Amino acid sequence: MTQRVFITGFGVITSIGNNTAANFQSLVHQRCGFGELSILDTIHQSDIPSCEIKLHDEELKKMADVGAGIGYTRTALLGLIALREAIHSSGLTKKELQLSGLLSATTTGGIREFERHYYDLIDLSKEGSFAQYADTANPGEHCERLADEVGIKGYIGTISTACSSSANAIIEGAQLIRNGLLNVAICGGSEALSKFTINGFNSLMIVDSEHCRPFDNTRKGLNLGEGAAYIVLESEESVMRKSKTPIAELKGFGNANDAYHQTASSPEGTGALDAMKLALSSANVSPSDIDYINAHGTATENNDLSEGIGIQKLFGEKAPSFSSTKPYTGHTLAAAGSIEAVYCLLGLQHQMIWPNLNFQHQMPEVSIAPVRELKQQVRMKHLLSNSFGFGGNTSSLLLASV
Amino acid sequence: MESARCYINGIGILSPQRTFVNTEFLEEVTNYNTNILTCITPDFKTYISPVQLRRLSRMLRIGMTAATICLKDAGIQVPDGIVTSTGYGFLDETEKFLKELLERKETQLTPTYFIQGTYNALAGLVALSVKCTGYNNTYVSKGFAFENALHDCMLRLLANNDLNLLLGSYDESAGVQYIAGLRERQFKKEPTNSLDIFKNKTVGCIQGEGSAFFDLSGQPSPSTWCSVEGLKLFYLPESAEELGEGISSFLKKHNISETDIDVVISGMSGDSSRDQVFEQLEKILFIQTPRVYFKHLCGEYCTATSFGMWLASSILKKQFVPEVVKASSTRFPDQIQTVLLINHYLNRNYSILLLKRYS
Repeated sequence: MTQRVFITGFGVITSIGNNTAANFQSLVHQRCGFGELSILDTIHQSDIPSCEIKLHDEELKKMADVGAGIGYTRTALLGLIALREAIHSSGLTKKELQLSGLLSATTTGGIREFERHYYDLIDLSKEGSFAQYADTANPGEHCERLADEVGIKGYIGTISTACSSSANAIIEGAQLIRNGLLNVAICGGSEALSKFTINGFNSLMIVDSEHCRPFDNTRKGLNLGEGAAYIVLESEESVMRKSKTPIAELKGFGNANDAYHQTASSPEGTGALDAMKLALSSANVSPSDIDYINAHGTATENNDLSEGIGIQKLFGEKAPSFSSTKPYTGHTLAAAGSIEAVYCLLGLQHQMIWPNLNFQHQMPEVSIAPVRELKQQVRMKHLLSNSFGFGGNTSSLLLASV
Repeated sequence: MESARCYINGIGILSPQRTFVNTEFLEEVTNYNTNILTCITPDFKTYISPVQLRRLSRMLRIGMTAATICLKDAGIQVPDGIVTSTGYGFLDETEKFLKELLERKETQLTPTYFIQGTYNALAGLVALSVKCTGYNNTYVSKGFAFENALHDCMLRLLANNDLNLLLGSYDESAGVQYIAGLRERQFKKEPTNSLDIFKNKTVGCIQGEGSAFFDLSGQPSPSTWCSVEGLKLFYLPESAEELGEGISSFLKKHNISETDIDVVISGMSGDSSRDQVFEQLEKILFIQTPRVYFKHLCGEYCTATSFGMWLASSILKKQFVPEVVKASSTRFPDQIQTVLLINHYLNRNYSILLLKRYS
């Protein structure tokens, strides 16, 4: 007997808002975080505009309520802010937290701090406050820090599958609940901008210096972003015992691999198609039941072609409304899956579909086109959220209203 | 939760010992005196095509070779899913990209090191090489990464026991981790003979590395090594007593008593400051049980439990315990049916794993 998995809370911080309410307002008013970098110290501040959270670490420390916050990386701070909001919104008690699980995702952990202090850290004759960042090249460091801060001991795990990481964190949390190993799993991801990431993506030549244009035929690449989001998953039993009204149900999920290229998606959209199909079949839902897809839609030539074809193959000409919210937040890499799941939940709660900004020119390879204007009073039952990444990783989450 | 049937039907492992030939079992043992242990590798050309080989970093070669040996051992061409695990990932490649970035002041960078430094690069590479379009995931949770990955596989087998899942680990002895780790006294400062780390314990462990792959299935096969019966993770137990109680209730849940355990494999690290819970535990639980240590052979690393799981599987399959791993003077039984593997990483991540002989 497997347990159904419900969502009872969430928290989010991105370049378009420090919490859920602010993110919602920005989505409604189509405010984007795209602009010149001013917090991250890089030579690319003006030539690689990104979606940066305009708060210095000291301000984040105050928001995260960690005092001096010794050893806290920006990834950990953003994560903690979103995690605290998620815990609060679900109303979890200290005792419940102790038995809960934390599944967190990141692509680079605290590399931002590591790169800043690299020369000092590797020179053992030097001593100083930089030493607090000695272990920040470790991706799991942030997760243990967050678990320790909020008192989670039931289960911890960190996942890193490039840009699909936090979708996979949500899937693993759901799996642990379905099998009765946990009653509560808090899942998501956190990602801070770093020189490492900006230069890495820039060297791959997939970053657009202009505002990104998902699914548009003139798209030239992605904009990077930073942020964090966590979702509280609870078992059916736990929800019923507490007479809680869940926000939605995580009804299905799919994880597959494109097995096409180390950093590119197949032009046939195989992985995208497989992930969505698995999400549908695991939820026992047919394609015609899907009301909205939050696409991965990075605005790279490769992703949007592959994903567009995958969507068209699965739904034919009758594709549901779909959009990419990457123009608002940029590509927040490991955090993208959980941030976009939150945007799906906000859409579900407020009966809204977020428009795919900057779309003007139809791609000739597909006949489907994303939603261009804010849709209101849309009753939705089933939503898909896609997340794909390097290494061929493709994941899709199926959220359902309750 | 019900117990999943989980058989280990194939293994491939590269480690600081000669472990890449499955018919051998620690016949040659290598001692290291630098505190940094590195893998003994076969001729990669035997396992990886020359075109592919040229493009791969050292650790990707090691991981790819371990995965190839494992699939061959299991007689599987394409697994149904791939789950890998690592603590620090490809830190050498990450550092190379970082150094270039800093030295060249963020200009004229090529993406090779960036791509090969991605944590899921190995899972992606293996999937690409064998054309596995199934489940794919990578855990990077410090001392729990391998355990999370194993747990994930066990849950998937519970849902479908016909699957063949390729479970892997990799971690490298990266220089930058060693240096950064010295700041937290994670590693020993004075050069130590690796084979002697349990004799006169000092602060810190020795740095190890390795990559191990296991083919897991809900169905046994002619190549089955043993079965995994259960797994439990303990995060930051407050005392040896708390951990001991956790282990006792785990055994009870699996209808096993302390005396049913034929051999305990312990991930004692040789670090006088962080082994204390394990030292205490030895006085509370399994006092009479024959005991085995392994970190003098592979060193300490986040996914060292995978070396322990290979050791447990080998002992169960070959019904033989090499002298070099024996840590107690107790007589080892002639028949070894049940092995308990207990590990800790830096006195934070504790795990127990129950394995049984398959016959």
